[in-house]
Amino acid sequence: MTFESSPGQPPQSPAPLSPQEFKATAEGILTNVEWVIEGKSHTIKLAIAVMLAEGHLLLEDVPGVGKTQLAKALARSVDCSVRRIQFTPDLLPSDVTGVSIFDPEKRDFVFKPGAIFGNLILGDEINRASPKTQAALLECMEERQVTVDGNTYKLRSPFMVIATQNPVEMEGTYPLPEAQRDRFAARLAIGYPDVNAELALLDRREEYNPLDALRPVADAEMIVRMIAAARAVHLAPELKRYVVDLVAATRTNPQVRLGASPRATLQLLRCTQVLAAMDGRDFALPDDVQQLAVPVLAHRLIPTTETTMGGGDTKAIVSDILRHVPVVSHPGRY
Amino acid sequence: MSGQRHATMVAAATLALTLTPLIGIFEGVGWTVPVLFTITVIATAASLMRAAGRGQGLQTVAMCAGLLVVLTAGFGDGTAFLFIIPMPGTFEHFGALADEGVAGIVREAPPVAAEGGILFLTLLGIGLVAILHDMFVVGLRTPALAGLTLLTMYLVPVSVAPDATAWFWFILPAVSYLWLLADDNLRRVSAFGHRFTGTGQLVSQRFPSPLARTARWSALGFIVVTLMSLTVVPTNTSGFIDRVAEDFEGGGDVGLGDVNPWAQLSGSLIRPEEVDVLRVSTDDPSPPYLRMHVLDELDSDGFGPNDYEEGESVDSLDPPDSPGAVFTAEVENLALRAPVAPFYGSPGGFDIDGDWTVDEDTGVIVGDGADMGDVDSYSFSYVDQEPDAETLANADGMPPSDERWEANTAHPDVPELSALVDDLLGGAGTVHEKVLAVYQHLSISNGFRYSLQTTDAGNDEAILDFLQTQEGYCQQYAAAMAWMLREADVAARVVIGMSQGTRDGDEWVLTSHDYHAWVEVYYDGPGWVMYDPTPAAGVPGALANPWATEPEVEDEPTLEPGATAEPSEAPGDATPSAEEGPSAGAEQPTDGTSAQAADDATGGGAGFNPAWLLLLVVAALLFLPALLRGLLRRRRLDPSRLTAATAWDEVLDLALDYGVGLSDSLTPRQAAGVLGQAAPGAREAATVLGSAMARHRYSPSGADPTGLADAVRDLHSELDKNAEPRRRYRAMFWPASLLAKASARQAEQSARLARRSARATDRVRSAVRRPRRSNSRENRSVTGRP
Repeated sequence: MTFESSPGQPPQSPAPLSPQEFKATAEGILTNVEWVIEGKSHTIKLAIAVMLAEGHLLLEDVPGVGKTQLAKALARSVDCSVRRIQFTPDLLPSDVTGVSIFDPEKRDFVFKPGAIFGNLILGDEINRASPKTQAALLECMEERQVTVDGNTYKLRSPFMVIATQNPVEMEGTYPLPEAQRDRFAARLAIGYPDVNAELALLDRREEYNPLDALRPVADAEMIVRMIAAARAVHLAPELKRYVVDLVAATRTNPQVRLGASPRATLQLLRCTQVLAAMDGRDFALPDDVQQLAVPVLAHRLIPTTETTMGGGDTKAIVSDILRHVPVVSHPGRY
Repeated sequence: MSGQRHATMVAAATLALTLTPLIGIFEGVGWTVPVLFTITVIATAASLMRAAGRGQGLQTVAMCAGLLVVLTAGFGDGTAFLFIIPMPGTFEHFGALADEGVAGIVREAPPVAAEGGILFLTLLGIGLVAILHDMFVVGLRTPALAGLTLLTMYLVPVSVAPDATAWFWFILPAVSYLWLLADDNLRRVSAFGHRFTGTGQLVSQRFPSPLARTARWSALGFIVVTLMSLTVVPTNTSGFIDRVAEDFEGGGDVGLGDVNPWAQLSGSLIRPEEVDVLRVSTDDPSPPYLRMHVLDELDSDGFGPNDYEEGESVDSLDPPDSPGAVFTAEVENLALRAPVAPFYGSPGGFDIDGDWTVDEDTGVIVGDGADMGDVDSYSFSYVDQEPDAETLANADGMPPSDERWEANTAHPDVPELSALVDDLLGGAGTVHEKVLAVYQHLSISNGFRYSLQTTDAGNDEAILDFLQTQEGYCQQYAAAMAWMLREADVAARVVIGMSQGTRDGDEWVLTSHDYHAWVEVYYDGPGWVMYDPTPAAGVPGALANPWATEPEVEDEPTLEPGATAEPSEAPGDATPSAEEGPSAGAEQPTDGTSAQAADDATGGGAGFNPAWLLLLVVAALLFLPALLRGLLRRRRLDPSRLTAATAWDEVLDLALDYGVGLSDSLTPRQAAGVLGQAAPGAREAATVLGSAMARHRYSPSGADPTGLADAVRDLHSELDKNAEPRRRYRAMFWPASLLAKASARQAEQSARLARRSARATDRVRSAVRRPRRSNSRENRSVTGRP
């Protein structure tokens, strides 16, 4: 494995990906992951969208609903290097980033890369690690590079962190600070499967774990091309205005203490582009924005104490904002 | 107390509005100034007393005093102290004025000049009503009762001048009454505090409550139904016609198709809608009157018919063969239902269905079980006997030995009348002189006027009333003349029939307005000779009686020179109508005759009624929103400018019209989904439209508008199909999208105004802001709480 010369840019993509190709590939990944996670196609679709928008994904749900399965399945569907970090309270930052150790033969320090040097990083139970370790990870996520002992090492592309965490208050957990939550492009909950999905799940798992049978349907190069193609999706001025209006509404909402950042705006737009491309379109629609608004915005908002005490949560706030912000800012049109 | 002041103002305004029907009975509009002034003074007096906190008693006294001052100032005529304080002499003067006014009211027919006694009485009456009105509305807070005062004001013109007061004059009084009620209710309701809608939202005071909407709809319904029945009923329902008194109001319940065989000496003539009764074609260039009934029984009420005796059959009448011209007439029956058959002159050679006999005494053609209602047409020939004045002047009357003498000269004993006739006929020797004297006496030149109503002047006998007031219509003229002649022992009787009618090409049309009564006088020799004493202006199709002259004297109001024996003066194309007679203007002293004729014409319903124009405008206004909406739709879907955006605009407006709620936070596709649910049949069309709009707005390549117009139409028809009827009509006639546009524009304007004023306020505030005492100022130390 060579780390220093990780490919920053895709090597001359042969031809721009057509919307149809994009759609077909995305659907391939989707079908693949759905093989493992029953009846959650919407969540999976959003997860793929986050990946292709070069964002990081936070899966937050109760234990046992398939967070890790989803992350694993997504990683396996894409033929790229996958690393998994199981976060524990005694995990050290160097375990994540890597460490320089002295090689007596070379009489020099040699960098031993940590778990972060992969295409897809699966960070399990991220809130079990100490804040120090969390901080190390989150820095890599944003910078897409690691600096150890004065040397900077670029990370691979595509690079995506899929972190999971339990929302339930538990002993020995360190909840992610707001600033660090903001680095995740989206937070998704998987939720319990419905009755039929759960029955199908039982049937399928009688004989083997479907995850083992999963075969990749795309490779890293393809993902890079898809990322580039998604960035080319047209964003109409009205749509940009709508996104800005939405984000601005989170900042003025009386139930919110801290609204969404401009980074949120950017990531929302990029995810929107991917979602449009996954639908085979070369232009984005407010419908795409609306699908993404809750996953992309909700985890960044800090509700007021009154809202929390009143049982309100930020998902409901974002849904409410979606219901009230006009799609087109001048009146009389929708 | 501003509520009371407001109510006072409303009371005065409503009363003023109710006075508009008076326009018909006064000449000009000059009378409105003193009337409005009186109302204002009374309202002001009441308002001042209320402002001073005085009770109802003092308020009423103040109002009366105000009225008195106004009357004194206006009519004191120097008897008052300081012009406005009435002295005993003033009241005497008032009494005289009132007498003069009463006399004027009795004497004059509307429109009258508003001056002197009449104006005094008017102001007095209106002032008293204004005081009552104010008491009802403000003092007693019972505006419903004020309807009585308003009705009083309306009834005055209706009873005095029914002709000048068309039904549409009722609209303003009615509206003012509604205003009164609404204003009081609004005040009452808002006194409870805030008003709420049914859903519990706070609404402004002027905002109608949900109940008000129901009331509005039912009121509208009532108005529409009433108007419809007004326009439909008189032409279609015979029941309604029967109730409206027909041309000769006599008590019998005959319709327009018949005439009562009565000639009464008092009564009023209410003319219903004109109906064509007969259509006559004759070779007579100017046919005489059509005779129907002959009345020879006289009592103090007037003439009535003798019982007709069945004589020989009408078929036995041979066609006349006389030296005079013989004419034939074919009569087409349009609406006549009578037991007698109308005919001209001395008829013969009848060709008529059914059994008809000739009454021996009168010559009336009476049905023997037959009725004109069963006869569609008939024909006969007749001689139009035209006696000349000279023959008549030399002829004697009916000899007392004649068996008909008794029946044709009997009359009640009225000493006053006998004296009058004696006085009048003192110098008359021959029958013709007597006839002419009476005829002259009843003429316009002697002050007689045509009126649709007689006036009771307080005499015991109706004939004396008529001769005193000199007002009446044909029945009174005919009855009076015949009676007066009988007083002078001249055999005379009244004939009921139809006047000449109007010429329509070669034919003569006789309508229900042509029913008429006239007099026949018996001369020994010529026989029965007709005289028409009624002023010709009152009778459409009236004929003059050229023989009713002495050979030299020609001051008789002869309006129609035709129909005489001299062929040179009776050209076939002579217009028979009174107003257009060639010699009418030249020979006749005009003493209001033409004005009366004009009045008569409008009274007959021939004039243009402005209310119809109003109705037309209202109807047009009803359809205006639908029209505007249709135009907008057409413009948007016009192929030359159709884009996904215009199609979508139309879709949004349709959604508004049909009450499909589309929040503006919905994307076009979501909106299309909602529309698809509302109109399941057009789900596909809605989806197409939504996708097109999404592409149009968000895609760099735009959308193809092909087929969008059809999709809009599909959606429209499906929405229409799925809507409730009420919603459908509303979408058609009162589209919500138009209203929304208007209110959106208004909201935008008011928002702009608010922003501007806010900026101005800010500027002013920052300009006048002064440093205030504050803990935050640097040189003051903040002392914290202990």
